[in-house]
Amino acid sequence: MYAYDTYDHAMVNARVAEFRDQVDRRMKGELTEEEFRPLRLMNGLYLQLHAYMLRVAIPYGTLSAGQMRKLAHVARKYDKGYGHFTTRQNIQYNWPKLSETPDILQELSDVEMHAIQTSGNCIRNVTTDQFAGAAADEVADPRPYAELIRQWSTFHPEFSFLPRKFKIAITGAAEDRAAVKWHDIGLVLKQNEAGEVGFEVLAGGGMGRTPVIAKSMREFLPISDMLSYLEAMLRVYNEQGRRDNKYKARIKILVDAMGIDEYRRQVDAEWEKIRHVPIDVPEEEVARIKAFFAPPPLPVLADAATEVDELENANFVFKAWLANNTGAHKVPGHAHVTISLKPHGGIPGDATDEQMDLVADLADAYSQSEIRVSHEQNLILPHVAKSDLPALWSKLDEAGLGTPNAGLLTDIIACPGLDYCSLANTRSIPIAQTITERFDDIKRLMDIGPLKIKISGCINSCGHHHAGHIGILGVDRRGEENYQLLLGGSGAEDASKAAILGPGFNEAGIVDAVEKVVAVYLGEREDDETFLSAYRRLGPDVFKEAVYGTD
Amino acid sequence: MVLINLTGIQPTGFTLLADDVQPKEGENVAVSVERLLAEDSAFFDTAGGVGAVITTGTPYADLDAIAGKLAFAVIEFPAFGDGRGFSLAVRLRKDFGFKGEIRATGPVIPDQALFLLRAGFDTVDVTSERKTAFEAALSRFPGFYQSDFGGQTSIAHARHTVGHTIGHSGEGHRKAS
Amino acid sequence: MAKKITGPQLILANRLDDGRAVFLTATGTWSNAAADAAVADNEAELDTLMTVAQAADLANFVVSVTPVAADTSNGVTAPAHIKFAMQARGPSVRADLGYQVSPNWEQ
Repeated sequence: MYAYDTYDHAMVNARVAEFRDQVDRRMKGELTEEEFRPLRLMNGLYLQLHAYMLRVAIPYGTLSAGQMRKLAHVARKYDKGYGHFTTRQNIQYNWPKLSETPDILQELSDVEMHAIQTSGNCIRNVTTDQFAGAAADEVADPRPYAELIRQWSTFHPEFSFLPRKFKIAITGAAEDRAAVKWHDIGLVLKQNEAGEVGFEVLAGGGMGRTPVIAKSMREFLPISDMLSYLEAMLRVYNEQGRRDNKYKARIKILVDAMGIDEYRRQVDAEWEKIRHVPIDVPEEEVARIKAFFAPPPLPVLADAATEVDELENANFVFKAWLANNTGAHKVPGHAHVTISLKPHGGIPGDATDEQMDLVADLADAYSQSEIRVSHEQNLILPHVAKSDLPALWSKLDEAGLGTPNAGLLTDIIACPGLDYCSLANTRSIPIAQTITERFDDIKRLMDIGPLKIKISGCINSCGHHHAGHIGILGVDRRGEENYQLLLGGSGAEDASKAAILGPGFNEAGIVDAVEKVVAVYLGEREDDETFLSAYRRLGPDVFKEAVYGTD
Repeated sequence: MVLINLTGIQPTGFTLLADDVQPKEGENVAVSVERLLAEDSAFFDTAGGVGAVITTGTPYADLDAIAGKLAFAVIEFPAFGDGRGFSLAVRLRKDFGFKGEIRATGPVIPDQALFLLRAGFDTVDVTSERKTAFEAALSRFPGFYQSDFGGQTSIAHARHTVGHTIGHSGEGHRKAS
Repeated sequence: MAKKITGPQLILANRLDDGRAVFLTATGTWSNAAADAAVADNEAELDTLMTVAQAADLANFVVSVTPVAADTSNGVTAPAHIKFAMQARGPSVRADLGYQVSPNWEQ
């Protein structure tokens, strides 16, 4: 993991002091709300329905056991004993007081964390594959490059007041677990024919009211050119992105309006001018940052562990958890483990302070003190010896963290919705709760197989409904909550936009509709065809018929 | 209004010239980009230093024709969040090697002081009640991750330069290069 | 300027200090309970309430002052729209948090 040096510490501490001064000026009335609002947003502090909300950055979803303990402490001391892990790999607190926020930020700074650029029209937290550095299928660990981008984009003199927010995602594996094609810029680490590692660069993706899948800018960009190329991309966007209408201000609209070829031409022209200016950091700096992400010293172990086999044969829930919540690690005899924050009937992404403390303890005991947050709102222990899996699972299970549903229908992404968010039109969480209660049968879920349901309570799409195999979008219909059903989306390497199936439903109706859609799939699937493959083969009509009837 | 001096430059005294008024002999004048694009060389010969009043909507390509003739530039922010103003300053410094004064006007906020300096601005026109906050903001951060036009090299470079300390010299873009 | 209204209104805001939702009462104070909210039945009454509310905004006590439709049909005043009703109660998915516990739930 990256560790701060004196420069990093000085910067974050200066930021806390600056915000403390701003809050003080606001409380005294020296700053109006209009002046203060953008300043608090740049520190991740929103005003929501019931209270302020503080969004703390978890850079590229990586945190240490010590940092997780601090997150638990903040939840306990300043909030209501819980936090919400988000689709941006961040954590949100729902009840902080404005007057205490500088203290929270100081406590976070003490463990090398902050809330910088978690909101505002700037480059946001760079997101990545939650299994980075652990997954057996990756070309290279994307996190050193995410950290380079974090530093380059922090307080950027030119790109801190963009037309709109800007999201960059990086993956190091061909299987895209970071939804890179749904980002303003997506970077995919790959090897060229000469065996060198570089990036495929994608641009212009995004969700919101105009969902767009990113287009390819460049097949292969050498790593040493990463920052100068990003700088050229951002400069053209900053100059020409629309500022007259915030719904048309994202880069996806600019790229769509000028065409990807023209955007590429302008970026390339600018890049030629700046390639040799020292934007890209010295090689020693890349090496310094890479060293922090060196693979942990895991011993090569036997791939079979008798403890695992015994419990697997004796306990069906463990067997299911093993199948769904663990995955292949780079180092034989190890696995990465997904801790589901999706208990059936629970709130997707929420964790109590006690659960956070437990995960920190388990990370210390079993995972090199390392933890990840996934964009699917789960926690990950990236480096676990297989022989430790039975002990780990039983401790998780006792704490309500052992739900064996990773990647299955009940592993639902849901935004906070109208239960908390002032932008929402409808609630999201209760829909997720009702669906997971309706499908509360692990055998049935495993029979259904991989199926991603994603729920947003408004068109801003924080719940990624456009990318759901089944997407649900809440809309306000004359003051009533109404839910639209979308099918066929994907956030993976085969990214696709989900399409609305037909008229919307009320709260009970949408859950029934989901069940009907699943029934159609089970009836129509061929061999081991997944839901998404079956939908792509069948098209919407058969689902429409089942959900809405024939007339 | 007061002028905040970010870089220690000698600020330009000038007249903001209405579009139908001709400059006096040797007078420093600031006029719109549109007018500068339309004026012939007689205008430049008569006036002393000529500055452009650049709105954030000015296409970057318009700078091509005039940047070489400018003694100074005034970039007008219609709102503090209009970040095009920063890119315009960067363009002037970077693409045209512009060494003259760049001034920011409009409702920029004190918390942007270092962003302005680092993007290449020398001075900011602000309401007098913001002076203290602007000056306080200038010394808020010891360093940044980007090399900039205020003369500071990035933390990334400083980390690997023996004996290097970070901090603004204040005259970066006017140093011989 | 009187704002056209189509039914009774109450005034909702958030306290600056802690962000909690509060309701303007007839005596010009702010209450945690929507039931205490003053109700304006016409534009003139709403204007009067908004003047009081905006003074509290200018005094940096509250922010986000919003007039919203009031539902008085059950004899208890509450915001009519689901969004503002949520502010009067607390998150529907956490019955242990918010004013649904008690208007003084945090004391």
